[in-house]
Amino acid sequence: MTTLENHIEGRFSVGTVIRSIIQNRVLFLILLIVLLSLFAGTTYDTFFTQANLKAVILNIAIDSIVSVGMMILLVSGMFDLTVGSVLGFTGAIAALCLDKLGMHPSLAVLIAVASGVCIGAFNGIIVAKVGVNHLIMGLAMLGVVRGIILLIIGSGIHRLPVEFLNISDGTFLGFRLPIWYMVVIALFFAFMLRKNNFFRRYYYIGGNEKAAAFSGINVPMMRIVSFMISGGLSGIAGVILTAKLAASIPTLGTGLELRSITACILGGASLAGGYGTILGSFLGVLFMGLVNNLMIVSRVAISWQSIVVSGILLIAVTIDALLKKSEQ
Amino acid sequence: MGKQSYIVFQGITKTFPGVKALDDVSFSISAGEVHAIVGENGAGKSTLINVVAGNYHPDSGQLEIKGKQEKIRNYAEALDMGISVVYQERSLVPNLSVAENIFADRQPRTFCGFINKKKMYAESEKICESIKLDVRPNTLVGNLIPAKQQMVEIAKALSNDSELLILDEPTATITENETEILFRVIKELKRKGISIIYISHRLQEIFNIADRVTVLKDGKYVGTRVISEVKVGDVIRMMVGRDIYAEKYRSSLKEEKVLEVRNFSSKKFHDVSFELKHGEVLCFAGLAGAGRSEVARAVIGADPLEEGEIYIHGTRKRIANPEQAIENGIGYLPEDRKEQGLFLEMAISKNIVSGNLDSVSKNQIINEKEVQRVSEEYREKLRIICPSVTTKVKQLSGGNQQKIVFAKWLLANPEILIVDEPTRGIDVGAKAEIYRIIRELASQGTSIIVISSDLPEVLTLSDRIIVMYNGTITGELTRHEATEENIMHLASGFERKEEMMV
Repeated sequence: MTTLENHIEGRFSVGTVIRSIIQNRVLFLILLIVLLSLFAGTTYDTFFTQANLKAVILNIAIDSIVSVGMMILLVSGMFDLTVGSVLGFTGAIAALCLDKLGMHPSLAVLIAVASGVCIGAFNGIIVAKVGVNHLIMGLAMLGVVRGIILLIIGSGIHRLPVEFLNISDGTFLGFRLPIWYMVVIALFFAFMLRKNNFFRRYYYIGGNEKAAAFSGINVPMMRIVSFMISGGLSGIAGVILTAKLAASIPTLGTGLELRSITACILGGASLAGGYGTILGSFLGVLFMGLVNNLMIVSRVAISWQSIVVSGILLIAVTIDALLKKSEQ
Repeated sequence: MGKQSYIVFQGITKTFPGVKALDDVSFSISAGEVHAIVGENGAGKSTLINVVAGNYHPDSGQLEIKGKQEKIRNYAEALDMGISVVYQERSLVPNLSVAENIFADRQPRTFCGFINKKKMYAESEKICESIKLDVRPNTLVGNLIPAKQQMVEIAKALSNDSELLILDEPTATITENETEILFRVIKELKRKGISIIYISHRLQEIFNIADRVTVLKDGKYVGTRVISEVKVGDVIRMMVGRDIYAEKYRSSLKEEKVLEVRNFSSKKFHDVSFELKHGEVLCFAGLAGAGRSEVARAVIGADPLEEGEIYIHGTRKRIANPEQAIENGIGYLPEDRKEQGLFLEMAISKNIVSGNLDSVSKNQIINEKEVQRVSEEYREKLRIICPSVTTKVKQLSGGNQQKIVFAKWLLANPEILIVDEPTRGIDVGAKAEIYRIIRELASQGTSIIVISSDLPEVLTLSDRIIVMYNGTITGELTRHEATEENIMHLASGFERKEEMMV
């Protein structure tokens, strides 16, 4: 009898529940987000207003879209440090096409996103075929692309046609369009990464690259595709953000790469690869957005945002590492 | 023994989960002798070295060094007692100089605490001179030929005032000409009264350089012989002759040629040609490092090839990577299943379908129910023992892990399957099941290449045996001609019968 009781107790004890919540990053994040929202809601009556919540979601749309691509890369065991620069670059290209070349907005958008995909393809080929480390490749390209932005738009381009601005300004069913772009992209890739036989291979590559290759997975090709997706999504985000701001600014997207990686790791990704979901990356971004919003509502200096978010990241990964150690 | 013993092993036993790596081993090594230790893979040679080096602690038994009982707790203590090991994997830093490598852990210092380069160079020169090694102390190790790197490794060990030097497969990575240089150094050391334990698969070398040879088999001591009083054949007979699995399988091969490899050459092997028939089990026997895995990897396009052609059903094919190999119906089960075959952190079911995701997908969408069904099917078929198919692979035993790799390839169902060391590190019961799976596959028409260093396994499984030594094929035997002795002769580099009689 006692062993049975122990067994049951072992299963449902508070310790094991906490343990399993912390180890499942998605549950952990949901819990944090709920606690944070409850705290914010009871402290500030403006928090649970429709306007505020819509603003929170709108603000995370750009980071969420970029983090989808970042998550796919992290699942395969890599990351892309160029996302911020690519975002700025594609915005600049779109603005240039519209302002200097007088192109139709849809053509400008197409060229801008394609340029993002091309940078991704270049990154992917150098990393996967030539064998340059992805971190070093990212560091180099981050600087190169940022420099090119300055060369082509100088201090920025502020005259953009209204049709282009509508990309961001329009609403559908009461929500601003960027929210819809985010929802469609996140749902599509969440589904693909879960169910599609092509995307599923990224988990195998991240789990064991050599074994994946011996299983007949064309690892270099898969890697190139993942960098192209990341470049393309950064490109889409760049167009949306440029339209939202009604201007192309040379500093657009600086620091995005680290923010995006932080969100994904919070959401359950591992730098070693093999883990992570799009839901996780979204929750990571949402959590960071909520903290940001809370800082603004409570008029706390914005520098606290990075301290709080990074601090929670540090605590989460430390507890995770300690739990893994104690298991062995 | 007229000479005084330097080290005496008394009843050394060391058990690992599931294996008795050393079982009551007793013998002695005299001062100033070159003492070879031989045995098949898994005979216990490495475990013995690790016991002497203090890396493993024996479960029972004693070590006596220079007449005194000693306990060696770690490698630092072994070094203090004058025991140094030169391992197979070189521990040198290629972009540092010879002197810096020799004094890696204890560079001489000046009085203000900086490295005393002058003294370091002078002492390195002295050590190198003492073993007649002509390298300048400021040369970068990476610029030396492999044999001289090996010498530097020995110099490093000697700089520690060693009295016993253990050389683990010292010639595995150097050419035959370079071996001469090594042997000169060994003779010099012997003259100085240093004892040497020489571990090698290559019997030829042992008959060249050793004074005595000790044979281990399955962790047990078989005997020690004076080299000048024995023949190669005697030593081989001591090494082999284990119980062979009683079960012999009926051949299922047909005359139709499925695969033909012509004149394969690369840096690791030379002019390798063979063919494989429908439903045949062809074993590649040989010692570790003979180039068998390298040939297999070249066949599937995982390693570069300098020359050679490959034909499947008589048509010439180009295979540039494993994906193309699978498209051409060739599957490969790698030697190191944990490193190259499995996704340890992933569920059993996900591993099983990893080689053929398309077969469990409909319209590009993976059908989880189908994944589950297929996994359960193979779990039953191959008797994989696990709590459930969602268990992570890393939690299973070696035998069950290997069955999962087999399940994966059964699902992918290639026409040709290359299996590299299918039963390494697997217990006897699981071994028999793996054999059954391989033979069953062959009887269903799959053509199989098995690379194995386990002689009884080769004799049990094969229709035909190809033996490799040092990157070339030294012989081919049918299952009727093959015995452990004649395979071992070929695998040790003796090509003709006459040489066997030496």
